[in-house]
Amino acid sequence: MDFYYGMAQLIGVHTLLGLSAYIVLLTGQVSMAQAAFFAIGAYTAGMLTVLAGWHIVPALGASSILGAASACAVGFPALRVKGLMLVIATLAFGEGVRLFFFNFDYQIAKGNIKVGPLGGEGFRQIRFFPENGWTTFDVMLFIWVFALLAMAVLWWFDRSRYGAVLRAVGEDELAAQSVGVNLTAVKVSAMTVGGAIAGVGGGLYAHYTTHIEHSSFNVLVATFAIAYPIVGGLSNVFGTLAAVIFVQAFLVEGLRDLGDWRNLLFGALIVLAMNLRPHGLFGRRHA
Amino acid sequence: MKTIALAVAAAFAAAAYTGSDALAQEKTVRISGFGAKTGVIRLFGINSEAAMLAAAEVINKQGGVTLADGSKAKIVVDFLDDRCNAEEGISVIRRIYGSDAVVAVGPTCSNVAEPLYGILQKRVDDKGDSGLQMPVFTDVAIKGGLAKISEWSFRNVPSEWTMYSSLYYWLKAKHPNLKTVYGGVEEDFAHSRASWYAVMKDRALANGYEVMGESKWLLNDSNFSTQVREMKKANADILSVAAHPFTTCGLLKEMKRQGYKPKLLVGLTSTSSMEVMQGCPKDVEGMIIPTSYAPVNKEAKFAADQTAKYKGSADLHSMAAWENMFILKQVMESERISGDKSQLQADRRKIRDGLAKLKETKGLLGVTKRTEDREADKPYLFVQAQKGEWKVLHNPL
Amino acid sequence: MLDFLQVVVDGLLFGATYALIGIGFTLVFGVMHKINMSYAAASIGGAYLGLLVLKVMAGAPAWLVFLCGFLGGGALGYVVYLACFHFIPYSSPLATLMSTVGMLLLIDEIIVHATEGRPLNYPAMFDDVMLRAGEFSLRGDLLLVFGVSVACMAGLLILLYRTKLGLATRAVSQQPTAAQLCGIRIARVNAVTFVITGLLGGIAGALIGASVGTLSPLLTLPLTVKGLIVTVIGGLGNVPGAIIAGLLVGAFENVFQLWRGVTERDLYVMLLLFVFLVFRPGGLFSKS
Repeated sequence: MDFYYGMAQLIGVHTLLGLSAYIVLLTGQVSMAQAAFFAIGAYTAGMLTVLAGWHIVPALGASSILGAASACAVGFPALRVKGLMLVIATLAFGEGVRLFFFNFDYQIAKGNIKVGPLGGEGFRQIRFFPENGWTTFDVMLFIWVFALLAMAVLWWFDRSRYGAVLRAVGEDELAAQSVGVNLTAVKVSAMTVGGAIAGVGGGLYAHYTTHIEHSSFNVLVATFAIAYPIVGGLSNVFGTLAAVIFVQAFLVEGLRDLGDWRNLLFGALIVLAMNLRPHGLFGRRHA
Repeated sequence: MKTIALAVAAAFAAAAYTGSDALAQEKTVRISGFGAKTGVIRLFGINSEAAMLAAAEVINKQGGVTLADGSKAKIVVDFLDDRCNAEEGISVIRRIYGSDAVVAVGPTCSNVAEPLYGILQKRVDDKGDSGLQMPVFTDVAIKGGLAKISEWSFRNVPSEWTMYSSLYYWLKAKHPNLKTVYGGVEEDFAHSRASWYAVMKDRALANGYEVMGESKWLLNDSNFSTQVREMKKANADILSVAAHPFTTCGLLKEMKRQGYKPKLLVGLTSTSSMEVMQGCPKDVEGMIIPTSYAPVNKEAKFAADQTAKYKGSADLHSMAAWENMFILKQVMESERISGDKSQLQADRRKIRDGLAKLKETKGLLGVTKRTEDREADKPYLFVQAQKGEWKVLHNPL
Repeated sequence: MLDFLQVVVDGLLFGATYALIGIGFTLVFGVMHKINMSYAAASIGGAYLGLLVLKVMAGAPAWLVFLCGFLGGGALGYVVYLACFHFIPYSSPLATLMSTVGMLLLIDEIIVHATEGRPLNYPAMFDDVMLRAGEFSLRGDLLLVFGVSVACMAGLLILLYRTKLGLATRAVSQQPTAAQLCGIRIARVNAVTFVITGLLGGIAGALIGASVGTLSPLLTLPLTVKGLIVTVIGGLGNVPGAIIAGLLVGAFENVFQLWRGVTERDLYVMLLLFVFLVFRPGGLFSKS
């Protein structure tokens, strides 16, 4: 059973990552920066529980706030670039954050060992969960509280005016502007919400893997972040969840027994999925 | 909606494979290997798996493992791929824990080992620690000092510290005219980085060499012009490179272009493999590397031949997996495991305790000492790249 | 001072490899207005296909391997077109993006499977030629790469501006609907564009393999990122811009490395990109 709880944990964290990109994608912005906010959340939460002895919940709160703040800061200059350029700009930002953590040392002595992030060697021994006796089941429930919360919030957005405005901006900026939608407010707020979700996801990631390093937040992770909502379709949040299950439970775990072929099928199935269902597993929202 | 239901069903159906053995007639004991079988480092996983399967075949031919009640059980091996990815490594170990495997052998990558050891129970019998209670006996992940993370993690990897200490000592004696050392290091690969700063540099200094500095690069860099110029300027007698085959080859080719040839080349343990010989056989000529495996005696050659039957090649990494299998057989018998699926956790605990008790184990090159923090002190020798092959240069045994 | 100049020159020369891969990237973006994330992977794939020559004829000369790489790249270009662009509707840019990502992973994995992840020795031309000018040395093989980039650029410009195919390509790029109304078959034009960029990619991959000396799938991701950066700095669709940008990125990279070390080098390259995005989003030669 432990294995299934572990899988559920992984799916929960990846769903948070996917949802952070989902809301930004609704406004028509393809952001490769979500892995960066994920990283910021991870290091923040890790440092707070390990170095400052905080409980995990306020630590996650802090990582959510920092994720949101950095996303907001990115959101404004992101307004100036469109389409392909935004992808490249956010990719570069993501790489920049990763390289920052590659060079980031902050260790303090606890007893006779030093703890904290150590540049290229990473940040080890983030053991809040096992040290406090949380079982795999407990952690799974904890992660899913946040995942479900994020899904609920985004679902509620979708059913409210805000969601309609987000999608309007995503479909046609000019038309949206001409009916009085404030593009800046919409795009930056979407980016901020995405950053907050990614921050929480990152904080959880740090604690359930107990060891993070710069390469845990590379271009591939940023790509997975946008892959989930694209493969799942932008019609609702369940698309992203379905895509995470498809990729992680089916492609990664389920195909594990195919050994070598798994990796080959991975790329091939993504290409196939996009050709067969270009609007995602759940398709496009029909007006 | 149908697609989703199908996907979810397929996912959990497929993931429910716990590797249960079809032949329930014979008694079996399962050892699960895991490591990188896909990606650029897939050879490591392929070789480890081959070594494990070969060792199991030999053990089974000799009758198998003797259980506590006197009966014999055959060893069954399966191998899971973690793709050198931390999250997958954790998934895999949980999967192994949920199966009937009594012990896990792996992982390949140090960046998987660290998080993986981190989710294991730190101290045995610590009721407040909910970490996983699964013994892990590592064959390949070589970054220094990892086994002490958990009392359930054990390693059978050579101590680079000991080997390079000995190498520099021997070099000092054999070539007293060489006095200076310069380093080359892959800064973003934990193993290489630790191996230069904490091992090669430290040990060179300890043996009276003057270390003039180091040049750095990243693991997928391809432009070494600046680094080679730095090396030329330092003009040290010995160039000590802590990098993996791809960048090592790139560096060596640039050195050839700029006409720079140090008097002696020292390399990283993992570079003493076939990959470098395929990538740049001519340029690596003369490089000296300490290693914990070479086919210098009957057992070593036998292990290599058996592993080759399963399409794996023998090197210090895969041969550690081979050794692990025999050590585990010995531990299983000395601790008298039941082999009974209903006493699985007790058996795992027995194996862990057995591994912790060991003071020395039998390795292919000789006796391996086990240390207090669950690491190994393996016998080693020095090899040199000669005409496209790694030939034994000096055997301190 | 001399050291600094040598570092700059080394960087400029290595930048020729970025220039070569950047040309293909910028052409795809400029003409198809779509990102082909698998471009660098397909180029390296082409280079690997070039090595098949050595399997058939053991001592084959380097230029034959390059030629085979050139052709292999073209073939791969067509495959990428079919898999990622032909069937996916124009109105789904996200799907195209994702499918090219899937293609990148697939090509990488095929390479790893076929070579078991081992780096392979790559034949080179002029790799032992080092032109010396006093204290300076210049890599002869990189000068060749630069020469090939310029030749490719000239060839492309002739193709785009002096042939019917080029006219059709530019028409489709500017106004696909109007082009269709004029009787131009979009699918065919797009396919041919992909084959041409594929051929370019093949020769780029082969020459990059030759200048690095060993071919490995590890080359793919950094080349993808560099290619994207060069495209932005040079201006989307601007071929001469891509060449200059490639050289610049190579030079700056080396200078950053000298100045701040290898761990911070790429951080500054990203900052350089941001500077361009903020102040000159149209690229080096933009009118703004």
